[in-house]
Amino acid sequence: MTVLRTSMRNFFAHKGRMALSAVAVVLSVAFVCGTLVFSDTMSTTFDKLFAATSADVTVKPKNAPEGDEEGPKNGRPESLPASAIAQVEKADGVKSVEGGITSTSVTVADSKNKNMGPTSGGPTLAGNWTRNELRSMEITSGHAPRGPTEVMVDADTADKHDLKLGEELRTITANGDFKARISGIATFKVTNPGAAVFYYDTKTAQRELLGASGRFTHLSVTAATGVSDAALKQNVTRTLAGDAAAYKVKTQKESADDDRKSVGSFLDVMKYAMLGFAGIAFLVGIFLIINTFSMLVAQRTREIGLMRAIGSSRKQVNRSVLVEALLLGVVGSVLGVGAGIGLAVGLMKLMSGVGMELSTKDLTIAWTTPVVGLALGIIVTVLAAYLPARRAGKVSPMAALRDAGTPADGKAGAVRALIGLVLTGAGAFALYTAGQADKASEGSLFLGGGVVLTLIGFVVVGPVLASLVVRVISAVLLRMFGPVGRMAERNALRNPRRTGATGAALMIGLALVACLSVVGSSMVASATDELDKSVGADFIVRPAGDSGKPLTPQSVRKLREAPHTGHVTRVKEVQTKLTTPGGKTESEALVATDPTYTKDLRRETVSGSVAGAYRGNAMAVGEEFADKHHLKVGDKLTVDFDHGRTVKLTLAAVMSDDTAFDKGAMYTSIATAERYVPAGRMPLDSMLLASADKGQQDAAYKALKAAVAEDPAVQVMNQADFKDDLKDQVGQMLNMVYGLLGLAIIVAVLGVVNTLALSVVERTREIGLMRAIGLSRRQLRRMIRMESVVIALFGALLGLGLGMGWGATAQKLLALEGLKVLEIPWPTILTVFVGSAFVGLFAALIPAFRAGRMNVLNAIATE
Amino acid sequence: MAARARQVVKAYGTGETRVVALDHIDVDIARGQFTAIMGPSGSGKSTLMHCLAGLDNVSSGQIHLDETEITGLKDKKLTQLRRDRIGFIFQAFNLLPTLNAIENITLPMDIAGRKPDRAWLDQVVDTVGLAGRLKHRPTELSGGQQQRVAVARALASRPEIIFGDEPTGNLDSRAGAEVLGFLRRSVTELGQTIVMVTHDPVAASYADRVLYLADGRIVDEMYNPTAEQVLDRMKHFDARGRTS
Repeated sequence: MTVLRTSMRNFFAHKGRMALSAVAVVLSVAFVCGTLVFSDTMSTTFDKLFAATSADVTVKPKNAPEGDEEGPKNGRPESLPASAIAQVEKADGVKSVEGGITSTSVTVADSKNKNMGPTSGGPTLAGNWTRNELRSMEITSGHAPRGPTEVMVDADTADKHDLKLGEELRTITANGDFKARISGIATFKVTNPGAAVFYYDTKTAQRELLGASGRFTHLSVTAATGVSDAALKQNVTRTLAGDAAAYKVKTQKESADDDRKSVGSFLDVMKYAMLGFAGIAFLVGIFLIINTFSMLVAQRTREIGLMRAIGSSRKQVNRSVLVEALLLGVVGSVLGVGAGIGLAVGLMKLMSGVGMELSTKDLTIAWTTPVVGLALGIIVTVLAAYLPARRAGKVSPMAALRDAGTPADGKAGAVRALIGLVLTGAGAFALYTAGQADKASEGSLFLGGGVVLTLIGFVVVGPVLASLVVRVISAVLLRMFGPVGRMAERNALRNPRRTGATGAALMIGLALVACLSVVGSSMVASATDELDKSVGADFIVRPAGDSGKPLTPQSVRKLREAPHTGHVTRVKEVQTKLTTPGGKTESEALVATDPTYTKDLRRETVSGSVAGAYRGNAMAVGEEFADKHHLKVGDKLTVDFDHGRTVKLTLAAVMSDDTAFDKGAMYTSIATAERYVPAGRMPLDSMLLASADKGQQDAAYKALKAAVAEDPAVQVMNQADFKDDLKDQVGQMLNMVYGLLGLAIIVAVLGVVNTLALSVVERTREIGLMRAIGLSRRQLRRMIRMESVVIALFGALLGLGLGMGWGATAQKLLALEGLKVLEIPWPTILTVFVGSAFVGLFAALIPAFRAGRMNVLNAIATE
Repeated sequence: MAARARQVVKAYGTGETRVVALDHIDVDIARGQFTAIMGPSGSGKSTLMHCLAGLDNVSSGQIHLDETEITGLKDKKLTQLRRDRIGFIFQAFNLLPTLNAIENITLPMDIAGRKPDRAWLDQVVDTVGLAGRLKHRPTELSGGQQQRVAVARALASRPEIIFGDEPTGNLDSRAGAEVLGFLRRSVTELGQTIVMVTHDPVAASYADRVLYLADGRIVDEMYNPTAEQVLDRMKHFDARGRTS
């Protein structure tokens, strides 16, 4: 009881000093809980959506895509004949059957050729309006589409693009374009996370979306009262009898589960990535907590000595510190859980900016979320306080009698230095091994091990490095500030362990920033380099955004007719099952192109000639595939074209794997593919490559752009655009990661503030003395600011050095995957370094202000 | 006069809880003299010293250091004044642990950005007998040595006046005698002005003049005292304090 009381008293007596540690716990816990709440809410949203949109039983064609499988690339979804409706209607327990049509191979544009669908995130869905849709939608204005010139649009899309009844929209499909006026607006009854939905009447949908009358993409079966979905499914399957093999029959639950799979993996990736960053923040927070408790214990040495002298046991002292940590953990975690829910709501708002609309109505807080948050926060805090608590237990009763003055300055031990050096050395060796590896898989293991070992090594050896690095930084920076600079340096050096831990916290975040920026800029540099070396095409035409929708035939026709272009190469992906002479069968996508592809992308071959692959009944494979199956030029491969015939193609070339583009791709000519795949089943072009007539670059560029001005789903890029696009994509990716690492860096900055604030308290008497003998407020503040800057720069120097090492190793390893050029982004590195100095200044603001405000007499009189 | 106070009042709190620490005090500190301020606990002796030294502000009255009026000066000017014209010796914790002895000695001049006078510095260091220990950190010095470093620091910048707040309070009698001897010599030989607060009659006996404070007023003074005389006078005050 006494222990608890003392701990409580101490905790509340020092609540100011605990505040920053608490903030670190709050932030880390909030991030974990926020991530969990956010991803649970997303799951709920999708669950509700899919449950609402699925009929009691759905019948689909056998080869309709499932989950995250890709649909057919011919621009028409798989369909079933209308005659199936009559068949299913005969099944027992059927109340009604409706033929439904849904296609994603659609672009809808307004009169200004602006895409009405999302360009990233959600899909554009087009279909027929049926009673089944009423499960999830209701018409809130106008009426359902009647006839070929009417379209109904969902309310979210109408709001986003300010669409009104009567406005004309153009629908672009592989079967052509057509115009229709908005006859109605339908509102989702559940949250629509970001899809744009367009409804037509059934005949129009069949003609325009499927390119055939009398067909549907699915049947929605409604059960009669009292008939379960499972029973209905059985009945329907039985009724379909011999034709059942051509269909998939699913209950509502099965449909919803399968639909969820299509978003599930995306949700998981997001969740674990964010939890990873939360973990980094926790790691950084640990340093802060250790520092806080170390300082509190040091400052309380005399008090602890007294406790020991009057009979407290080691265990009791030890426990009293741990109980304080427990209190900190509880307070921080409880606040963190609350803040996490707020963070999740904030994230939801943020996501709406990138086309993911979530509603707070679906906010899902699973019981596990607060439990995980509290457990993590409390356990981490108590563990972090364990070492300082043990040190407190070791304080001898004599400490009470000694003149405490300032707590003894911690010295970095030789043993510690040795352990740190050994770890760092081992890590460096692992990194070196990773750089030398000739297989990416084994190299990445060494890379991971090297990263972890060097990180731990640096943390352990940090205090020793602190003495060294601080001296160097001071020699360069602080000496010009005379005695104030010298005192700042001495202050930063007086407790290397504290400076080391504070700097190390900053080091972690910055090391990751440096590493990723090196990898990112190397990626851009390598791709640009490869582009210059091997890409002969002047223009790349590809689907806009990340929709991956193939190009429509009408757009391709216009592009091929564009003036000033030399040649236009079509690129298609054809699904096949490939059987080697050895009898191994693998599912492979052939890249079927026009023969001019060899001019657009110059590739090395290991054997044979690429040109040969474009003659009739020939193909090329990648080096790895050839090695795996012991293939050589001249071998015959059995190719079973999806929806087409099975033929033997002659291997004409083995392509080198030493490339950044199309690694491992198998080539054949479009002419060959067309011979065996029926015209209606031939995939649309996934991309076009084009060259300009000599000296007509600009004219050709304009002509191509003009050719697809009416198709917002197509993007025409010249090489410069392509490079910019690449840079933008990598840049966006890096910015997102930097943003997430920002949390860890904020916690580290709090750590610097914390260390300075506690140091100022600890040095109250010293500060009083200095003020008494004539140090001005301004000089005092400057001294504290400089100490802060030195600590921050120490962390930055270590972090950036370490990170660049990691990045360079990763690049060497990824050189095997085409990342051939190492590019250190010096402007970024320099900005981060200089930025760290400012972070140091910022961190010192409050501690310096408080030190300056101290009353000289009180300060001197402080024990 | 090195310093003078006129009608100085220092009061804490207001109304019922008002405590007057200094009650209309007039005092003159002569240049080149060693002045000791004595008095029982709570007599206001430390407060008087703090006010004279510009560490604390007064409620009313004026204090002059040489010709400069320091009452009413802003913190910035006061700090400069302490740095350039005043030396301090505190009872304990006089030195910065991160700086070695010589760095501590030259600190006020370093802060001011002035070059110390080499010859003078050597003389001061010599006088306090620290020549061999200049590179030592405070933790490597004994209590007496630390106070001697503090004395050297106070002397090194040739301040107009040095204030000591029980400078020997934490030392044993031998080390205390040493430090007091240096203070005495710096007055006699170097012409330094020193004001020292103490409750030790032996320490006071090193002074040229002793001021007695009680209840925030100067109640007596004595020139060229001996320890016995001081002790006698103290007993007298103590007795009076008890009877009144």
